[in-house]
Amino acid sequence: MKSNHRLNTISAGTEAVFHVIIGLFSICCIIPFIFVIIISFSAESSIREIGYSFIPRAWSTETYAYAVQRLPQIWRSYFNSILITVVGTLLSTLMCALYSYALFRPDFKYRNFFTFFSFFTMIFGGGLVPTYVICTQVLGLNENYAALIVPLLVSPFNIIIMRTFFKSSVPLELIEAATIDGSGEYSTFFRVVLPIAKPGLATIALLNSLAYWNDWYQSLLFIKQNKVLQPLQALLMELQNNVEYLNRMSAALGSSAIQEAMRAPTQTLRMVLVVLIVVPIACAYPFFQRYIVAGLTVGSVKG
Amino acid sequence: MNNQTSHPGSASLTPNWFQRNKKTLALLTMVAPAAIWLLLLRYLPIGGIVLAFKNYKIFPKNPTFWNNLVNSKWAGLKNFEFIFKTDQALVAIRNTLLYNIVFIILGAIIPVVLAIMMNEFTKKFFAKTYQTMMFFPYFLSWVVVSYFLNAFIDAQYGVIPAAQAAAGKEVISWYTTTKPWPAIIIFANLWKNVGYSTVLYLAAITGIDASQYEAAAIDGATKWQQIRYITLPHLRTMISILLILNVGKIFAADFGLFYNVPMQNGALFSVTQVIDTYIYRVFLTTGNIGQSSAAGLLQNVIGFVCIMLANAVVKRIDSESSLF
Amino acid sequence: MKKIVALLLALVMVLGLAACGGQNASAGTPAAGSSSSTSSGSTASGGEPVTLKIWFHGSNVSPEASSKVLDELNVYLQNKINAKLDVIWGTWGDFDQAVVTALAGGDNVDMYFTCNWSADEYNRYARDGYWVKLDDLLPQYGADLLQAIPEGIWECAKTNGYDGMGIYAVPALKDTATQNCWDVNGTLLAALGYNVDQVCSKGLDYYSSDFEEMLRKAKEYKASQGENDFYPLVVEPMVLERLVNYTAIVTGDLPGANVLSYYYDKDHPSKDIGSKIVNKFASPEFAKFAARTYELSQKGFISPSTQNTGTSNDYLTACQSSGSYLIGTQSYAYGCEIDFSNARGIDVRMVPATAPYMDATSGQGAMMAISAVSKNPEKALQFLNLLNTDPYVMTTLNYGLEGYTYNKNSDGTISFIQENRSNYSPWRNGMGNIRILPPTSDEGASYWTDFSNYYNSAEALPYGAFIFDNSVVETAGAAVANVYAEYAFGLCSGATDPNTVLPTFLQKLEAAGINDIVNAANKQMTEFLS
Repeated sequence: MKSNHRLNTISAGTEAVFHVIIGLFSICCIIPFIFVIIISFSAESSIREIGYSFIPRAWSTETYAYAVQRLPQIWRSYFNSILITVVGTLLSTLMCALYSYALFRPDFKYRNFFTFFSFFTMIFGGGLVPTYVICTQVLGLNENYAALIVPLLVSPFNIIIMRTFFKSSVPLELIEAATIDGSGEYSTFFRVVLPIAKPGLATIALLNSLAYWNDWYQSLLFIKQNKVLQPLQALLMELQNNVEYLNRMSAALGSSAIQEAMRAPTQTLRMVLVVLIVVPIACAYPFFQRYIVAGLTVGSVKG
Repeated sequence: MNNQTSHPGSASLTPNWFQRNKKTLALLTMVAPAAIWLLLLRYLPIGGIVLAFKNYKIFPKNPTFWNNLVNSKWAGLKNFEFIFKTDQALVAIRNTLLYNIVFIILGAIIPVVLAIMMNEFTKKFFAKTYQTMMFFPYFLSWVVVSYFLNAFIDAQYGVIPAAQAAAGKEVISWYTTTKPWPAIIIFANLWKNVGYSTVLYLAAITGIDASQYEAAAIDGATKWQQIRYITLPHLRTMISILLILNVGKIFAADFGLFYNVPMQNGALFSVTQVIDTYIYRVFLTTGNIGQSSAAGLLQNVIGFVCIMLANAVVKRIDSESSLF
Repeated sequence: MKKIVALLLALVMVLGLAACGGQNASAGTPAAGSSSSTSSGSTASGGEPVTLKIWFHGSNVSPEASSKVLDELNVYLQNKINAKLDVIWGTWGDFDQAVVTALAGGDNVDMYFTCNWSADEYNRYARDGYWVKLDDLLPQYGADLLQAIPEGIWECAKTNGYDGMGIYAVPALKDTATQNCWDVNGTLLAALGYNVDQVCSKGLDYYSSDFEEMLRKAKEYKASQGENDFYPLVVEPMVLERLVNYTAIVTGDLPGANVLSYYYDKDHPSKDIGSKIVNKFASPEFAKFAARTYELSQKGFISPSTQNTGTSNDYLTACQSSGSYLIGTQSYAYGCEIDFSNARGIDVRMVPATAPYMDATSGQGAMMAISAVSKNPEKALQFLNLLNTDPYVMTTLNYGLEGYTYNKNSDGTISFIQENRSNYSPWRNGMGNIRILPPTSDEGASYWTDFSNYYNSAEALPYGAFIFDNSVVETAGAAVANVYAEYAFGLCSGATDPNTVLPTFLQKLEAAGINDIVNAANKQMTEFLS
């Protein structure tokens, strides 16, 4: 293998150009996050003096301390978020894969119907209030974990994407061959199709896990009293909104609000909350990426 | 789960209904979980669409949502009026369409190019690293992005005005000057979404059977020919599907981008007001669910028509790559 | 394809109808039950206690603390009115979004916090039938309450609701007056060589050369200390306009877009000076104000950060808390200068621009409404009656339990037990009659007397408790609000030149239909006053 290392690759010069283009863009993508981290460790006084800056006048971890102190529930919420994300991702990815696999099968009798059945909901919906009413009053999604998981289970967009992945990576002959060998539909799906579709599956799982991890809206709607169930993102959003509200209205809200508002490091808090929510999911990212990029260099020769 | 397939031999002897349809039944059970979900959480509430044609009022005698809905008076098309009646709405529609056309075109080209380029790196490490970096914008909310941008262009603390002042040049007031904003908006949109679509394309490329490239290389095909004849045709389906879906969003805009990044400055409205921000500002004032439902419905109907048209066009060219 | 669409449509209709039917059937029974409970009257009667669900705003209450406090409160409530309380502790962060969905969806909640600035805006929701009209229930179930709250405040709560003119929520007896003040940094002013007491007692005139002189001196003084980035005038632009021009908010003006002005006499707000409701931006006073603000901005007294809608609030807070300003604006709340001085570490002076006045806007600052969904509106009103008249109920809900979140002192004040109080901090002003609470040790024993004296002294504006019903001009309102968002902030903050911008703004406002709004408001006011 080593001998034909440069055989089937682009020239070194072209590759260098590629590196420059993609490298620059990638740096553009990461800089704002570095900025967020720097601000999160800046002293609030520095921001009051010179605004948001890459080189703050003073550093501080006070805002982190403030956030943790203001959020006695933060560790429970981390747990909630992880639980919801893991369970939700597993269920939603499985449901998506099953559904889109059937749509991908040209010999599925009701293929067109079910394609349209999911596509239609991507465009048209009853809107927030009717959905809310069905969820709380008919399905009992209220003040429980299910309320945080169920509403995000199916995404028609992901179904279409997953079907496209199947289309472009799974040869139909393979399925036929498996059927002739006497393999049942489910065993074909799990043993033959899914291993081939791993990159697509990992992509969908990634999208789903991000959707679950970042969601705060379901919690806003469905978790009003049993707040120990709040996921992290909802907890952080609430703190952020509370602090900004207090700042704006403190005089009208009375003396305790004034004192509270003055203590709050509004501007750094915004960034601290971003770091608290992004870092864990960013750490989980390589797990998905392993599968997405796994076969990436097959175009060139593995070196 | 697959007990229906446990006697493959007997099927040919006495093919009863179950055995004749076992494949369809098995596939139906696969569809079932998501289909039931769609039925309950998407189709059950869909009656809410009529809100767009109602003057939604509560029914105090027994104010459940459905009673309110059923007893509210019909409003005809009155809820739709505000979308076309004012100059601001027309500016918003114009901006939405123009930005979306640019987004659709660039969004279809750039991620594909990037994905193909990344696929050619000899060291997987780089592809991995770049791709991870590109995904980061996806983690940041538009609010945070707006503060990041502000750090550069803020009139008081920003890096750029400071540099301009130091160089003795005229300092632009960024938040009141419309000229740079179309470029800023377009770049911000690409910046945020390119990494995401690139991942989709990369995953699709990863699915290509390696032996195809090897065979081509042996036949003496250059790298460019391989891209032209193997990679691109392979991505065709993904490109057209994403294109069709994006065309469906032509009448809708990313609210967070247009609302937060220009920091809601009125002086920039002529280039930053889009349908979604316009509707939001109207809703804040009137609080009329009927109006916002009407606007949403209109966006959806137009999106639906556009998708059907785009799908028909794609189907003509290449039936394999169409949505249905 | 056609077949699929047809099939889907059929499916949707069947499902939709099924859902409607189901809802009807299930909701029918409890509604019938409610009529029978009417007879239970105001005394505690036997049988199962009724559970009342109430939704507060702005709370910071942990679930454990909540159940601890409510368990004890509910024993008391059961004895008193045979009811139990179940609380949704809404926060600043989630109230607006959650409450709107819950109300539209008909959630099973008996009482909601409402007011004229939250998303469940009192007047609009009363008009649309969400709140129960209380006029007929009050004498029977809320007699003490009717007594406890002054007539003037009840007047402010009267709105033209679903069942006609009347009271649709119980107004909180709290800071019930408005007074716009200049927020002056006394420490800096003294450093500039001014006699702070003298300047403050004389009052400030925005258009005077003295005013400008102060700003200039402050800027020079800071520059001489090496601080070139100092802007002495740090304001909320929209408040500045009201403060300088002596205009009051017209209750019922477009939410998020105050386009109407009502001018009042700054020294005697109750004096009738023959005002009408006008287009705020078309008045000569506004033109003068915008020109002056632009002038001050051009001279470098107003920061560009104040003029950017996205950074204005952050900048204001940052400047205030670091004491980095000379003059600001503040809507006054009793005693706030002491809190501000403590928090900012400077001598904060509040210089009144006007006398305090009372109108529907301040009267509707916090209220509790009974939802039309409630199956026990009488019980709910009985509870609100207790909340506003029974110090035990009010104190327990607000401050928690003695020995848990607070201790009593010998002088009648209370001191908080901080570790528990931080888990149980509802928003005091949002509940009801806060004047029956014990004062805290920080406030001092005479706090509520002084508090009441200050607010009771406020005069009512001549147009009194008028509330504009803006639903009649909805289409114009939508258009006007968007024009407003485009121009108003720039003009009020001095960012844009009124000579070029104001005429365009006015012309666009007219095209959007502002005159219809102004005329409708005046017509309604004439009817209201006659």
